[in-house]
Amino acid sequence: MAERTTEGTVSEWIEEVRENRGRQDWLIDLGPFALLALLLIGFSIASPVFLTYSNLVDNVLQNSIILLMVSLAGTFPILQQSIDLSIESLVGVTGVIAALLISDYGLGVSALLVAVLAGAVLGTLNGVVFAKLKIPSFLVTLGSLSILSGSALLVTGGTSIPYRNPVVREVATGSAIPSIPNLVVWGVVVYLLMTFVAFKTPFGRYCYALGENEAVADLSGVKVDRYKIGAFAVSGLLCGIAGALLTARTASAAAGMGTGLLLQSIAAIVMGGTALTGGVGGPHRTILGVLVIGVLANGMNLIGIQSFVQDIVLGFVVIIAVAMSMDRRKIDIVK
Amino acid sequence: MTLDGDHTDSINPDSTGSRTRLRVEGVSKSFRNVDALSDVSIEIGTGEVVGLVGENGAGKSTLLKILTGIHEPDGGRITLDGEPATISGPRDAAERGIAIVKQEQDVIPNLTGYENLYLGRIPDFSRGGVVNSDRMRKEAQQVVDELGMDLDVSKPVSSYSFDNRQMLEVAKAFSESIHTDHPIILLDEPTAGLDEGGRELLFDRIDELRDRASFVFVSHELEEVLEISDRIYVLKDGKLVRELPAAEASESILQRAMVGRETADEYYRTNRQRTVDTDTEPVLQATNIELDDSVDSVSFELYDGEIFGVVGVEGCGKSELGRVLCGADAPDSGQIHVDGDPIEPGALFRMVDAGVGYIPKDRKSEGLLLYQSLRANVSLPSIGTDLVSDDLPVVGTLFSLVDRDKENRLSERAIEELNIRAPGVEALVHQLSGGNQQKVVLSKWLMRQTDILVLDNVTRGIDVAAKEEVYRVCRELADQGVSLVFIGDELPEVIGMSNRIGVMKKGRLVDVVDAPPENKPSEEELIREMI
Repeated sequence: MAERTTEGTVSEWIEEVRENRGRQDWLIDLGPFALLALLLIGFSIASPVFLTYSNLVDNVLQNSIILLMVSLAGTFPILQQSIDLSIESLVGVTGVIAALLISDYGLGVSALLVAVLAGAVLGTLNGVVFAKLKIPSFLVTLGSLSILSGSALLVTGGTSIPYRNPVVREVATGSAIPSIPNLVVWGVVVYLLMTFVAFKTPFGRYCYALGENEAVADLSGVKVDRYKIGAFAVSGLLCGIAGALLTARTASAAAGMGTGLLLQSIAAIVMGGTALTGGVGGPHRTILGVLVIGVLANGMNLIGIQSFVQDIVLGFVVIIAVAMSMDRRKIDIVK
Repeated sequence: MTLDGDHTDSINPDSTGSRTRLRVEGVSKSFRNVDALSDVSIEIGTGEVVGLVGENGAGKSTLLKILTGIHEPDGGRITLDGEPATISGPRDAAERGIAIVKQEQDVIPNLTGYENLYLGRIPDFSRGGVVNSDRMRKEAQQVVDELGMDLDVSKPVSSYSFDNRQMLEVAKAFSESIHTDHPIILLDEPTAGLDEGGRELLFDRIDELRDRASFVFVSHELEEVLEISDRIYVLKDGKLVRELPAAEASESILQRAMVGRETADEYYRTNRQRTVDTDTEPVLQATNIELDDSVDSVSFELYDGEIFGVVGVEGCGKSELGRVLCGADAPDSGQIHVDGDPIEPGALFRMVDAGVGYIPKDRKSEGLLLYQSLRANVSLPSIGTDLVSDDLPVVGTLFSLVDRDKENRLSERAIEELNIRAPGVEALVHQLSGGNQQKVVLSKWLMRQTDILVLDNVTRGIDVAAKEEVYRVCRELADQGVSLVFIGDELPEVIGMSNRIGVMKKGRLVDVVDAPPENKPSEEELIREMI
């Protein structure tokens, strides 16, 4: 019986899908690829250095990994139609924790693990306050943004915490696989893991359901609060990884070392195709946005555009990306 | 473009001195490849109430949207008072005298009646950016009074009853088009959600306003259409299949035209009603359920394979009882036992785990992930269960993962068993018709192999053919030993389906009436106890 239905319907379905897709759907699905291709071609022409292995791997990729982690972190709350605004300070706090443990307490690589755990715990706290006290997530995380960055500044006194530990540095800067930086390997591993989580685990699937319509998920027996907290726990965990890797890479940590990542990550998430209205997109797409921003920043540096102008460009990119992805729900078949 | 279709030679009800106000000639509209309307011609005379019936997806809404300028027809033409007209949008339509009262109430509760009435025209009442509220209120009150409606427009709409809000909608449609000689008011299921009194009130108004306006009345309730209309058009699959005076029509004639066959006497498949053994252990037992003001010490038992109907007037607490039974709301006190085990109330997932599923009244906001695939919807309650789970090679069942193949098979089975018309498992649910959407909601629980279902108005807003299939599914479920709590506003349906019927009044379960196939209670019997 299954054969009968599949043979006929699959082709019909492909037909149907093709017909029902508006211009905007195509734009959202293929837009980031097109943009990335355009940027790659454009910068290759504009700068002779751009299309070299060392530039692409050492600069574009390596510099994008931290943003990738943070963007993957932010994807899950946004998928649920919430938002985590505290990611910058989570990166700062976890980085400071790692650096202090190494410099003052003589810990090694285990300090990085502690930092990751701390991120998960702090993220869980965000989630608990949001889900249990029913406070909008942007307010909860805006509050914790201030609390965490304040605490980190208090502990560090506003200075950066350097450390000497070549083994720890190796975690990020080494190349366990020849000519591929460890940082890139971490990025790939976490990216694949998060894509797996989104598609194969109940948690991932419920993120889509919750983002689309929480009442429906609730009435279907989903333990809504648990998965809402889960999204922020994952977000915290990934920010912890970002903080730990950044600390390992730079051999120091400072409270403000995550500054600027929030806006960039939201731009990357939305450009990738995860709408702020939730329920569509996913971590597998976020990487596209990250690469666009990474290439854009690198290319602009190479052709000598000053950083203030880069900020202006980024701002426009965010607004345009949001505008493009938000409208999607208004498209409806009318009979 | 075809101007002379088969049906353009229509009757002109000229004998009563009425003239043709609006003429739709051979209008077609398709969305991508789907023909929503093909070659439809209708006429509306002055002072006429024209009924428009058809199943979901027959093209009623599309026609209304063309008349209000929301859609542009692909072919054909529209003439107003004999003049060809191109309607460019709702505002233009209103200026030409065509206004619509929509299915969903478009009122803003925290604004007053007069602000709502003139919502789109507030600038007309202001000078230099300052609104003259007094003038607005007076004119609004005048409009409402002239229409013979008992409304105080200075009060916020949140203080209006549901019926009065609907009246305000009618008044709004009137005020938008009143400046034209003879407005045409399109009523798109205006009685949905109205109780008996509100309906009478609306019909009285329509009757009184007949000599000043024309009406197009769209409803799923054929009885109402027959009562209020002069002439009735029947649409099926985007085509006009029948046009007849209401005096010559009957429910069965209309139904046959709409569905293309006569509704069987065994609409509810009463012959398949099971006899329920009440000597066994009940599958669900509710004891002294209390909830605020809405449910007052309700106790009853549900037996294996039974359909237990729950009826009562609006506000009697039947929907609230349904929400308590499924665990969506926690009762203030009382106990629910499932298969003899007490279930800690107020958490839906515990009820789901115990085998209870809930089909809410409003499928769009509570039942479906509209912009996600049929597959994602069908499998939602089953995620995390063995039905769709997949194991990792090494860690085995440590993490329960989602198996896409199993999900696809589950959804294909749902499509097959419930006869869901969908292009495939990846079709987005919002693209399906209302009836098929409701089948998706049902299939969520069917596929999860739920033993007890709480259904709140499961056939609301779906067409006759889809209703029939829902009834069939309910019967089959009962045969398989699934027990149903069948909450409904439509008495014939509840009577036809149920083994026993609980009557609720002011939060109390006042009576439980036996309804064996050979001796069904009458509607009157139940109504007497309801009020």
